[in-house]
Amino acid sequence: MQFQFENLEELLVMAGHGEYVWTAVLVSLLTMAWLLVKPLQQHQHNLRDIARQHRREQQRQTTNEAP
Amino acid sequence: MNNIGFLAYLRRDLLLAYRRRGEAASPLMFFLLVSTLIPLGVGPDSARLAELAPGIIWVMALLATLLSTEGLFAADHQDGTLEQMLISPQLVVMPVLGKVAAHWLVTGLPLTMVSPLIGLMLSLPEIAIVPMMISLAVGTACLSLVGAVGAALTVSLRKGGLLLSIVVIPLYTPVIIFGSATVQTAIDGINWLPPLAVLLAMLCAAIALCPLAIAGALRLVNSN
Amino acid sequence: MASSKGWTWFYRLGSPRWFYETTGRWLPWLGAVTLLLISIGLVWGLGFAPQDAKQGNSFRIIYLHVPVSFLALAGYYLMAIAGAIGLVWRMKLSYVVMKSAAPIGAALTFLALFTGAIWGKPTWGTYWVWDARITSMLILLFLYLGVLALQYAFHSQEAGSKAGAILALVGTINIPIIYKSVDWWYTLHQPATIKLTSAPSMHPDMFQPLLVMIAALYCFYALALILFTRAEILRRERDATWVRDLALQAESSRENE
Repeated sequence: MQFQFENLEELLVMAGHGEYVWTAVLVSLLTMAWLLVKPLQQHQHNLRDIARQHRREQQRQTTNEAP
Repeated sequence: MNNIGFLAYLRRDLLLAYRRRGEAASPLMFFLLVSTLIPLGVGPDSARLAELAPGIIWVMALLATLLSTEGLFAADHQDGTLEQMLISPQLVVMPVLGKVAAHWLVTGLPLTMVSPLIGLMLSLPEIAIVPMMISLAVGTACLSLVGAVGAALTVSLRKGGLLLSIVVIPLYTPVIIFGSATVQTAIDGINWLPPLAVLLAMLCAAIALCPLAIAGALRLVNSN
Repeated sequence: MASSKGWTWFYRLGSPRWFYETTGRWLPWLGAVTLLLISIGLVWGLGFAPQDAKQGNSFRIIYLHVPVSFLALAGYYLMAIAGAIGLVWRMKLSYVVMKSAAPIGAALTFLALFTGAIWGKPTWGTYWVWDARITSMLILLFLYLGVLALQYAFHSQEAGSKAGAILALVGTINIPIIYKSVDWWYTLHQPATIKLTSAPSMHPDMFQPLLVMIAALYCFYALALILFTRAEILRRERDATWVRDLALQAESSRENE
């Protein structure tokens, strides 16, 4: 097995096909990254949302009990 | 034979369609009107129109059927007939099949009947007229059955119409492929029975499977 | 009793909490394996694999296009099976999995179309051809979008899940028919003169990195599916004590930072 390209420039140009190959790679990696980041964000958002809701409910309970 | 539900719902829906003739005729009007738009867009060249005719007629028939499927269960859902049907002890499959059959008799069959007129206007070769009519008759029945699944899924939604088309159009693709292919092969002078046979096979499968999906959709999705 | 014991894992699988906690332990490992496999596969495929005699370097897109298309199709079946399990056994978790599979599948199908189009430019000289496989992929994308749109259209979560499950099942029966029809349609309208290198005739040096990438995409799919499912579990189980404890715990650890 041998590396097919002499230097970095050749790897990027890929004998004229570089723009196609690298666009495909870039868009694929970005989309795949989005598929991981999106649920992680949602996860954090949900946790925060649930904690906030819980605190609000407790506050309401204590103010109701006070008088 | 346990087809009482089938006949009862078939008769009822045909009667309803007869009483609201104007409404029932609108898919037909749509089919005619939009098909006359095509020459205005493409140009009056009859050779080119003839080339496009099978595709145009099939796409228009598909859209016309799609338009009318939206209302398949809507009125029954609003006035509670649907609920009555769902709680009745008999199988929901037979009444559903009856309703779909009525829908085909009211939309698919008239479309098939006027299609020679459109074929004439789009200068479709004469040898293709009969294959076109047979393929439309079989194909629109498929479209009615598949469309009814979508209609059952979206019946309880307020803006179900647009959603229905998104849901149903991908499922329509095999029908339009073999439908227009039947006409095309007839024009090319090849034996047009094989694609028609496939279309018929699809209809058989749809008759067997679609009512189950429709019944499931009506029962599960709209019970809550 | 023995039979009921044999089924406990199945019922446990239906418990969102069990799923959440178990997959939480898997996540770091799965993430590491995915990253490793993708890196190896891409470097191998883009740098070391020999170039194709006919297509030159543009064929390297295969290392993304084929695995992504694989998973796009497999994902639809997974979604439908999850939906069917939900309909039959009324398992809460399987609807969550079904809902999570839809956006992932749609994104992968889009990627399959995108990489296919880019590949088409140097190979066929145009971005879009109505090739049988590309057309089937486009219809698959529409099927995914239908399931997605239908699920979100209902106010009631349960009704949305059931509707999505039924549609996914109907789609599953249809997919082989659609594929065969489109295939036949394509041969009818234009003889298949241009064909991409088919997998079995590939040289092993080209094929091995492809296998690595397929494995990588399977791991990636599992990872994304688990992440989507976990987020959705939190949303649906927000009133459960364990979720609330988790949220409060996360909040206090944030405040300590």
